Amino acid sequence: MSLVIETRQLSKHFGKVTALDGINLQIRQGEFVAIMGASGSGKSTLMNLLTCMDTLSDGQLLLGGVDASSFDEDQRRRFRADRMGLVFQQFHLIPYLSALENVMLAQHYHSVVDEAAARAVLAQVGLEHRMDHLPRQLSGGEQQRVCIARALVNAPEILFADEPTGNLDEQNEQLVLGLLQQLHRAGHTIVMVTHNPELGAMADRVIRLQHGHLVQEEVAYAPVVA
Amino acid sequence: MAASHPLFWRLVSRALWTRRSRMLVMFLALWVGAVIICALGAIYLDIDAKMSRELRTFGANLYVGPQAGRVLDEPSWQALDQALPPASRLAAGGFVYGMARLQQESVMLMGANLESMADLAPYWQIQGERLAVSFDERHAMLGKKLAQRLELKPGDTVTLVKGSQRQDLVIKGIVESGDSTDYYLIVNLALAQRWLDSPHRLSHGLLSLDNQQGQVESIAARLQQQFPALEVRPIRKVSANEGAVLFKIQGLMGLICVVILLLSTLCVNTTLMALIGERAREFALQKALGASRQAILRQILAETLLVAAVAALAGLLGGALLAQLLGQTVFSSSIGLRWPVLPLTLGISLLVAALATVMPVRRALALEPARVLKGE
Repeated sequence: MSLVIETRQLSKHFGKVTALDGINLQIRQGEFVAIMGASGSGKSTLMNLLTCMDTLSDGQLLLGGVDASSFDEDQRRRFRADRMGLVFQQFHLIPYLSALENVMLAQHYHSVVDEAAARAVLAQVGLEHRMDHLPRQLSGGEQQRVCIARALVNAPEILFADEPTGNLDEQNEQLVLGLLQQLHRAGHTIVMVTHNPELGAMADRVIRLQHGHLVQEEVAYAPVVA
Repeated sequence: MAASHPLFWRLVSRALWTRRSRMLVMFLALWVGAVIICALGAIYLDIDAKMSRELRTFGANLYVGPQAGRVLDEPSWQALDQALPPASRLAAGGFVYGMARLQQESVMLMGANLESMADLAPYWQIQGERLAVSFDERHAMLGKKLAQRLELKPGDTVTLVKGSQRQDLVIKGIVESGDSTDYYLIVNLALAQRWLDSPHRLSHGLLSLDNQQGQVESIAARLQQQFPALEVRPIRKVSANEGAVLFKIQGLMGLICVVILLLSTLCVNTTLMALIGERAREFALQKALGASRQAILRQILAETLLVAAVAALAGLLGGALLAQLLGQTVFSSSIGLRWPVLPLTLGISLLVAALATVMPVRRALALEPARVLKGE
């Protein structure tokens, strides 16, 4: 399997504070990788760099074989829209757009709106009956599934999920985890930040961070990909 | 996001509706601005005509008299009157003055074309009635000071005495002019000429001319050349000040517009800044999803300009009403809403709104999705 993400001595400094220090990482296509660590370990910073939402201080970031280290803001935006899907802990849905319109919004910023495709992906996450509802009319689990549908609608190469069950009750947590596993089995590359060991155990591989250093990589689960 | 896509307009319209109370504040700020621009714009464009007419109520603006050592007779006066451009001539009247004797005392007798006095001296305040016909030889008007001195009032009779001749005159009105007329006995021109033994002679003539384009000066110069035996000169007190007053009023209106527009811009700017703060997550999310800087700019501009356009259209209506109100109050006449007011109001309102978005747009574009979406 080809590498979709590779970091070489990746570092990020905020003034005198080093948030990430010399991270070397490889993620292959179809892998489900969990990034874990305590608060302040640097996992969110790493996620921001991998999703091109922030710029690195030192080192190199290769995404799909392309050197993204020196991308300008517009290149990072374009790369993110074209090749990544983002799932947020707090869902971040536009409150005055319906579930369907929220999904279509991602299509709009990507290329063109295809309502049929948006409906199909919402059906894929089990929301075919809630498409015209506003976020406030949906449960937390349903909102997270809209968020996942939005992340999937442009067929991204990598799905990034930042604490995807952090705001959900247990029932909805299981629902979302089941969905992520399903996507993984369907061949999606998933990178997930979590502090929850149970979630980490679902991944093919767990990367542990501590004080900005990569301290451990372990296979947590029988990987789907060979 | 392409502005032409229905999703874009859905995003814009729902964003406006969701924050309708803030949008209402923005709308009102822009509406007030549009009302003022429209009303003052309408008056500005109409003011030349209106003010010229108003200032003309101060009376005559051209004096015609004899050169030193010459006399002004009625044929010369009529020839000059006929040489005036008909479109500019509003009123004309000849005057003769001389001492006359009443039973009580000697007074200054003023003969005038009484039918023209309403136009030549509209500022006269009259107690009783105005003498307005030239053939009336049984009535007279008295200057206020003279009337006070002689203790006369409308309805009383005075008698002109000249040798054995007597001419009874019933006082029809008491004139307060604020000038020397207040000391005169005023009768019609023919009676005064006869009584003063000055048939067909005038002391001077006065003309009221249209001065919208400042043409009094040029007309005076032309008449002076044509009638060298006469002294023809503008009455500067009125005609020269006319332009200065107009200029000052227009400047004042411009200043009011600028102040109101500044306040509108400030209000819209403040509202938008607050809105961007409230919507930081929305814009950060859009950026995270791939929205370009242009897409964010387009959205904020579309929302703001939409509100501004509606405010400007509503402002045109309010402005037209305000212009009429001001026209009736100040000029006692309606103000014509000329077509340039429409693009002027729309253009300035949109410009103000666009200017007000500069800082909020910069703030929205500076949002860092990673930090905002994390709630930092």
